[in-house]
Amino acid sequence: MTPDPHPPAPSPALVRDLRRRLGDAAVITDPDRLLVYEADGLPHYRRRPSAVVLPLDTDETAWAVERLHGAGVPVVPRGAGTGLSGGALAGPGAVMVGTARMRRILALEPANRRARVQAGVLNADLSRAAAPHGLHYAPDPSSQTACTLGGNVAENSGGPHCLKYGVTRRYVRGLTVVGAGGRVAELGGDAGPGAPDLVGLFVGSEGCFGLATEIEVGLVPVSEGVRTLLAAFARLEEAGAAVTAIIASGLLPAALEILDRATITAVEESVFAAGYPRAAAAVLVVEFDGPDSALDDEADRAEGLCREHGATEVRRARDPDARAQLWKGRKKAFGAMGRLAPDMVVQDATVPRSRLPEVLGRIEAIARAHDLHVANVFHAGDGNLHPNILFDRRDPAWVARVEVASREIMEVCVEAGGTITGEHGVGLDKRPYMALVHGPAELDAMARVRRVFDPQGLWNPGKVLPDGAEGPPWRRDAPPRRAGVRPEAAPRTLEELAATLAEASERGWRVDPLGDTPGWADLELDCRRWGDVERYEPADLTVTAGAAMPLSTLATQTARSGQWWPVDGPGLEGATVGQVVLGAPESAVAARLGGVRDLVLGLALVTGDGRVLRLGGGVVKNVAGFDLVRLVVGSRGALGVLATVTLRLHPRAAVDRSWVLQAPRPEALMGPALEAAALDWPPVAVELGWDDLGATLAVRGMGSAAEVAELRHRLGRVLPAAREADAADGALVRAGLRAPAVGAPGRAPLAGPAGAGDELLARGRTQADEAGAPFAGWLAVDRGRGWVALPGGAGPDPGAGLDDAVAREWAAGLKESFDPAGILPPGPFPAGEPTP
Amino acid sequence: MKGGEAHGPLARALAGEAEALDTCVHCGFCLPACPTYVRLGDEADSPRGRLHLMRAVAEGRLDPVSDAFQSHLDRCLGCRACEPVCPSGVPYGRLLEHARATAREARTPAPATRGFLRLFASSRRIRWVFGLGRLARDTGGARLLSRLLPRMGRLGALRRALLMVAGSAPWRPGVLGGNGTDAASEPSPPRPPPPEATGFATAGVLAGCVQGALYARVGRATAAVLEVHGVDVRPVPGQGCCGALHAHAGDLEGARVRARANIAAFERAGVDRMVVDAAGCGAAMKEYGHWLAHDPAWADRALRLSERTLDVHEAVAVWGPRRGAPLVGTVAYHPPCHLHNAQDVGDAPLRMLAAIPGLEVRRAQGPEECCGGAGIYGVTHPELGGAIGADRARALADTEARCVATGNPGCMMQIAAHLHEEGAAMDVAHPVELLAESYRRAGWIRTRPGGP
Repeated sequence: MTPDPHPPAPSPALVRDLRRRLGDAAVITDPDRLLVYEADGLPHYRRRPSAVVLPLDTDETAWAVERLHGAGVPVVPRGAGTGLSGGALAGPGAVMVGTARMRRILALEPANRRARVQAGVLNADLSRAAAPHGLHYAPDPSSQTACTLGGNVAENSGGPHCLKYGVTRRYVRGLTVVGAGGRVAELGGDAGPGAPDLVGLFVGSEGCFGLATEIEVGLVPVSEGVRTLLAAFARLEEAGAAVTAIIASGLLPAALEILDRATITAVEESVFAAGYPRAAAAVLVVEFDGPDSALDDEADRAEGLCREHGATEVRRARDPDARAQLWKGRKKAFGAMGRLAPDMVVQDATVPRSRLPEVLGRIEAIARAHDLHVANVFHAGDGNLHPNILFDRRDPAWVARVEVASREIMEVCVEAGGTITGEHGVGLDKRPYMALVHGPAELDAMARVRRVFDPQGLWNPGKVLPDGAEGPPWRRDAPPRRAGVRPEAAPRTLEELAATLAEASERGWRVDPLGDTPGWADLELDCRRWGDVERYEPADLTVTAGAAMPLSTLATQTARSGQWWPVDGPGLEGATVGQVVLGAPESAVAARLGGVRDLVLGLALVTGDGRVLRLGGGVVKNVAGFDLVRLVVGSRGALGVLATVTLRLHPRAAVDRSWVLQAPRPEALMGPALEAAALDWPPVAVELGWDDLGATLAVRGMGSAAEVAELRHRLGRVLPAAREADAADGALVRAGLRAPAVGAPGRAPLAGPAGAGDELLARGRTQADEAGAPFAGWLAVDRGRGWVALPGGAGPDPGAGLDDAVAREWAAGLKESFDPAGILPPGPFPAGEPTP
Repeated sequence: MKGGEAHGPLARALAGEAEALDTCVHCGFCLPACPTYVRLGDEADSPRGRLHLMRAVAEGRLDPVSDAFQSHLDRCLGCRACEPVCPSGVPYGRLLEHARATAREARTPAPATRGFLRLFASSRRIRWVFGLGRLARDTGGARLLSRLLPRMGRLGALRRALLMVAGSAPWRPGVLGGNGTDAASEPSPPRPPPPEATGFATAGVLAGCVQGALYARVGRATAAVLEVHGVDVRPVPGQGCCGALHAHAGDLEGARVRARANIAAFERAGVDRMVVDAAGCGAAMKEYGHWLAHDPAWADRALRLSERTLDVHEAVAVWGPRRGAPLVGTVAYHPPCHLHNAQDVGDAPLRMLAAIPGLEVRRAQGPEECCGGAGIYGVTHPELGGAIGADRARALADTEARCVATGNPGCMMQIAAHLHEEGAAMDVAHPVELLAESYRRAGWIRTRPGGP
């Protein structure tokens, strides 16, 4: 799918059509005016589009894209043009579709903690609109005052506070997408649990799959209190060590940011001088948020750790003004550095946190070797580096040195187990480095996925994937095969597993990776030996384990380092890591700690046709290419056989308590459950489990002693009758609850707005009654997600939750791109419908 | 696209500012701050886009005669809301003046702009026209005539101009009650002691053009307030228009002529400070040093005046406003762009209003945007200026205050005109008028500065 080097520009007749429908002001074709669209936030790339159109809504966008694609004209989406990878640039022949006039907040539902917006709404404007309701939108890229949510979706944007809250993908619930040819698809939303995660796959696709015109996002309560510390260090390594110590201590700061000496100098010499200590080699900004009463204790502990690791000075901010002052230098560092030289590249890469000091030293050496000025700002908690390289684009030799140094920095980061971009995206700029992190098979898999969404390659061509990424099409008569490797029913290596599946595909033998589709398998695969920990890095909070490892074993091993993989819910007893990853059950603690989909960083998968794909990586922020990991998680074995997974761990909290209330029927507990979930500082989990014998509500608090004490105090008002228990494993909820095991048939998803628990229960009861089953089930009340048990049922139908015809077609295409011979069970994927 | 050679000399005018242009790193933080971008959605109507067009001209990639360069620079309000949010400190206002000079040299400006500049070129003409305006205002003729004109088109612009003239009518002190009676007749508190070591003892007040013709009362209030604070306010004969409108329209030479006249007048008067109660004029005078930096005979003198120019809010803040008699009621404060963005005077007006007992100060919801007045913008871009003005007036009306306070005559007229259009019964006053009224009620000022 190499883009056409000379695509046709829109014809005069087409331009006339566009003007007639969208209005003259919304169609720009004057080449002089188009100059301003030739660059985004990385201005040394210049490409002038043939035209810019500025539609008002989904209909206008779809109409314009239908006409343009119909004429073979490529289309490039653009938000505010603040991106730092050259992603929002359209070359000659291409037309840019801007979202600048799609600025309406369509719905704000405080009770359900969610909002629906048009793509051009600014990140900060959404938080501002939600503020009167005590809510905000969590991901906060440094450009949040200017960047659009549509752009955030395209790039899967991060930000300083993503350490605790996670990146964009975690907050996007649903999308309205204008796809190839102007076809409109509704993805996700309340109908979607159990369906393939097309929303998660679309987020971060950099405009290569389509344009999201409407976005439904989750909102989170504004923290009641915030404490911000600024610690100065005489050596950068000491700051790095302090970060590691803070993370290891079990504290979970909202943000951990480091600025190095060069950055401090730039900031202090700018109009945004923040009063940072100029003598310091590094300053560390540490922020905690949560219930006010708990924060001083956390800040004290962090301050102690900073001092222990050599901090020469620690400042603390309590009020918003002082806090803004401490943040000012960090938030404005990028612009402040712009004053030091005519041009600057803001590089972006992620490394495992423990490798930060070493990598920084090597970056410094690279800068010295090429006589460059490099200033570092980074999200230290995530290991996400931003080396800023200063230069002058009018000096070709200087530009060449920057290019060489950029590549060397990327190589160093990849060697250290990292990736080439943590949050800025690949765009144009990182395309040459894609082969550093992905092999030909992975690039080919991404290209095939892209082709499912955009068969003609007319969405943002020439971005993300290097030219020639897509390999030759799979042919039934010649699956990939490695010489000398024989297929085995109990494979010991990835190669053997691959050979087995290639052989099975060739012969049409059906394989059932999870073993939960009765009557499917022709060939019984035995992967039980894939059950060891391959690599455990407590300092980085990551573990790579074989898919067959029992969850309980993983828990035991990580507990030794005071860590856990925070997935919790009924029916997990006896499950393997692979079953949980492929089943992606609702997790009770997902509202605070992320769901299964947010907690898988990488995996090794053998596709139905025997290709080995090593997807994702070992770092917590990674936007290098399309997120196929997201698609595999929850795919129930439909895409391939899972070999290993790399998981994001969390430190165990110091205190972990539950408050339990019981009643004969779940309906009686829903009121208090919703009240507990609506607390200003919500508990970590609010779960309701029930069967025909009775119902139990468990509310869980986790954190420092002070934080849990605060929750106890507040729950005392909402759930005065609740019994407090040490219920770290959530066993109390499930005591007596006959939960079908994960992956086993019999769980029908229940999902709705977070505030609609009563309605969900009513719906579940009806389903159980209709099936003639006793009413049993489970709900994560704070998220409006759960299931009702329908014993004997076959689980959700393939394609359930995918009501949209376009979405079904995409899902079927994705399944086919991983398993062209159809030897794997359908899982949640609908059967392919013949495309015209 | 033509090559750099074809329009070399013009491009060079901007190329001289290449270093300032290069400070822009294209981050886009300025986009949401720009009233025209927010409404139109075209990046060519954003500060970053305009800077990019300027850079293209400087690089010889764009002809300054082109529609793109001309129309997008012309459409800029010059509100400089982009400057406070710029992390790189791009001197946008200065670059805009240079770019407009380049645009103007390349192509004759629109008739409306030309007409206005011709008007402002002669103080005799200004007196004459605004004298007529004052007459139309005071007899009610302006408002009457405006009712007969259509909202759109050429006559719409005239209608707007008439509404603005009508809007310059004085505020009615009655809307902000006191203790029931006129405090001047009551025993007055002691006059505040003269200032100790405040840095200046004498001051001149810029009479200005529009200011002098339609807002003479504001000048009187400024002088009266300064006198309460013990300042010897002296006349500055020979002063005239500050040149801001010329500079904004790209007539830098015209602006310099006016600057030199004012510098000479200031020097002759021998006062310590020039106090300005029109934010647009004060911002311009603070730029005199920059305007005349390349004129060896004037550079130092210009810089001296720039350094000695104070906005009236800054001047009063030197001592801090006194607590006079109460003005009971509510006032909505609108920050003029040329005070807040160009002069970085943000808190002083709020402190001035807060010093008045009984006065409740409200802020409009949403972004504190330009009112759309922007010099002659309301007349040259009636539709866009009108839309921006209407939004601002609505936001101010929503505060349900009795009165709007803002420290720039252009804003006062624009806001008053749009409040009238929105049917909001709110008076418009300069903050110093309110302070003067408070002082007057306290008995510290004997005359009534609030007269017409």
